[in-house]
Amino acid sequence: MSAPVSETATAALQEPETPVEPPRGRGGGRTPWWANQRIGLLILVVALSALFGILRPAFFNQQLVVFPLLRDIAMFTVVGLAQMSVLSIGHMNLAVGRMAAFSMMITGISYDLWHFSLYAGLLVGLVAGTAIGALAGWVIARTGVNSFVVTLALDFLLLGLIPLVYTVLTDNAAFVTKPPGMRELRNYSLADVCIGNVCGSPAVPQLAMFAVIAMVVVGWIYSRSKLGRELLMTGTSVKAAELSGIPTARRVITAHAMSGCLAALAGFMLAVSTGSIKATIGEEFMLPSFLGPILGGTLLAGGFVSVWGTLLGTALTSVIRKGLDLLGVGLESLNIYLGLILLVALSTDRFRTVLSDRQGVRER
Amino acid sequence: MTLFEAEQIDKLFPGVRALDGVTLRLEAGSVHALLGENGAGKSTLIKVITGLYKPDGGRLLLDGQEVQFGSPHESASAGIGVVHQERNLIPGFTVGENILLQKLPTSRGLVDRGRIRSEAARWLGELDLDIDPDKPVTELSVAQAQLVEIAKALSVESRVLLLDEPTASITPNEAERLFRVVDKLKNDGRSVLFVSHKLEEVFQICDTVTVLRDGASVLESGALSDLTRDQVVDLMVGRVHEALTLPRRTVAADAEPLLELTGVGTATGHTDVDLKVRPGEIVGLYGLVGAGRSELAKALLGLDRITAGEVRVRGQVVRIKNVRDALKTYKIGYVTENRKEEGVFLEQSVARNIAVTVWDRLRKALGHVPFLRYVPKKAETAIVADYVEQLGIRIASPEQLAGTLSGGNQQKVSLAKWLAAKTEILIIDEPTVGIDVRTKDAFHTLIWDLAANGLAILLITSDLPEMITLADRVVVMRDHRVRGEVANDHDYDTMSQQVIRLIHAERTTAA
Repeated sequence: MSAPVSETATAALQEPETPVEPPRGRGGGRTPWWANQRIGLLILVVALSALFGILRPAFFNQQLVVFPLLRDIAMFTVVGLAQMSVLSIGHMNLAVGRMAAFSMMITGISYDLWHFSLYAGLLVGLVAGTAIGALAGWVIARTGVNSFVVTLALDFLLLGLIPLVYTVLTDNAAFVTKPPGMRELRNYSLADVCIGNVCGSPAVPQLAMFAVIAMVVVGWIYSRSKLGRELLMTGTSVKAAELSGIPTARRVITAHAMSGCLAALAGFMLAVSTGSIKATIGEEFMLPSFLGPILGGTLLAGGFVSVWGTLLGTALTSVIRKGLDLLGVGLESLNIYLGLILLVALSTDRFRTVLSDRQGVRER
Repeated sequence: MTLFEAEQIDKLFPGVRALDGVTLRLEAGSVHALLGENGAGKSTLIKVITGLYKPDGGRLLLDGQEVQFGSPHESASAGIGVVHQERNLIPGFTVGENILLQKLPTSRGLVDRGRIRSEAARWLGELDLDIDPDKPVTELSVAQAQLVEIAKALSVESRVLLLDEPTASITPNEAERLFRVVDKLKNDGRSVLFVSHKLEEVFQICDTVTVLRDGASVLESGALSDLTRDQVVDLMVGRVHEALTLPRRTVAADAEPLLELTGVGTATGHTDVDLKVRPGEIVGLYGLVGAGRSELAKALLGLDRITAGEVRVRGQVVRIKNVRDALKTYKIGYVTENRKEEGVFLEQSVARNIAVTVWDRLRKALGHVPFLRYVPKKAETAIVADYVEQLGIRIASPEQLAGTLSGGNQQKVSLAKWLAAKTEILIIDEPTVGIDVRTKDAFHTLIWDLAANGLAILLITSDLPEMITLADRVVVMRDHRVRGEVANDHDYDTMSQQVIRLIHAERTTAA
């Protein structure tokens, strides 16, 4: 052979393959807009709101309906983001609610015993949440035990521990000291924020800013930073991530720490909007924490997350809940509907995986 | 009498035609060898026969009747027993339960332990095995486990028994025992298919042979008594001059090795491994499955502990802690043999698959905020474009998911991330398994070019022709030890003889 090698290389590299079909689905960048899951959700949320509004005009009452609805959506979005953080690496956090309760317990202690200000207490709570999340992550990374099992165990541990602390430290199983600014944060809306004569809408609670901050930070991490990419790669394949030089054990801890921190923030939002810090905070977090992200397209298996999707998924469940409530549907039937939504969401997730696998096989 | 026949079988995978009109005929009372290089389609054919894969063409005949198997369960019920290359015993269960798994004896809906014991003992007795049926399978030696799997395959009253590389991980003595069993089965009028890389075994126990090459049968049911060993090898590898010939490179023999191992022992069982790789050199690491080559690579990357000896990189004694350390500090990359699980992130874009090793380099500061740095998407896409062009990766866009690429293109992606990271020492493990011939040639040229550009390459492959095409020196491993070294003279016959001799050196002296 006399030809220079680089030329033969180029020649040999022309594989006799059928042209690759343009990629479809997520990540392909060519999905038609109407097939985009997030846009589908947005349309559904808007349509359902309109429907409920027509059936019950009270649905659009700014003070009584929209304000608390948005406050709920904001809080549950943060709860969803807490779950999304661990879903990104293919893990679960079953203790998401109890982590919120634990963090708020620390916050409550800081208000009651140490007389911290509102935001100093929040900071202490976030640190506590991060720490308990990191602990869960550390145990998982160290022992290799499934996150499901570890967080379930942690959940039981906290379930016993938290009331014990409340009984010792409080009279009525709640921390009663309310730092200044808490009530304002609960009730104020954008109507209280004015630039000159122009004020915001009274329907949007100020508390929602925490959700916006959380979304921006989490969204930035997953779409722009190296950290987020490493989390997603770890979620796609731990082995491949390890063999590509990603410190997977540390990333497991990071993901759970993020989850704990966001759970603490959600706990704080709940504490502010109910006006009390008690042991039962976060009890109702676990189920919705999965609903939002999964409806929004975050993969249970890890490797793909959507912050917008989490917001829209949460919005959909909250709107349905509120709408059915206004229509006079009882609590039990309401939960039946929500259960059905979760089931459909999970099946869709599986269906999409199967579909993308099939497309992979059909490619040749 | 023909017991079983696979006729004109086709099987397609994305990007590869795994089987192309393969015909296999198994006679009663006969042992049939199925030979071929790695990736020739042997295991695929077995999976088609047992109903694990659905063939895309052709038909299966049992006793002259056409049959279709939707699952391994159906083929087992029809009397086809199989022992796969991978271990398939279920840990946590006893020997007896594993043997009778496919039809556990029950009484009133409950598992009948007494009958499990007696029936399993019968099958073990048929193989002259002295193993307690109540023993947990985790307590068995590798060879015992292998024999228990055969008992399991027999227990479904199988008349056709498929053995996929049964001797890959057992000692010669244990293999002899297995052969006695095979002989007995043959005398009972059953039909045995024997897949092995060890030709001496094939000539010892088989009557007829079918040879596969690149998914097609190049010899169908030839009598082994009419064939010489060399003829069989020629059939397996194809005519030598068909292979790609690359110009020789000259490696300065006195150049300082980039990677040097002296007396290295590892937690995975290596002892006294010596190895040198110089810049611009391709050193081949050859051996049979289980010789400990990939394990050595993983120990070098810090995934397993090195317990003895010295590893030097560029003359400095080093302790590599993990892959990150190997990559960032020592510029060592590892292209894994397990492409789908360890090499590429199937559910991620091609861009991320390649940029995964260089995010540190691509990061930019976000304004003047300390600690806040981000990875610009444009930089990620740009680096991908470089390697897509250099390696000829066929993609529709950098955002395409790696899982939708063909095997060859995935392998290029798996390689590209190490090139992007500008590694100087590259360990390449079985680069062309499951990849068709033409892409194989492209890969060989690529690896050759990398060495010509000064990389030190440690090439692990079980594909001898590939080794001879690429390597400057071939280091032969067996049982986690280096058995010797052969300088490549690029002549297939002398090379294969020398290498095979090194592999079997111990066995000949023992016999």
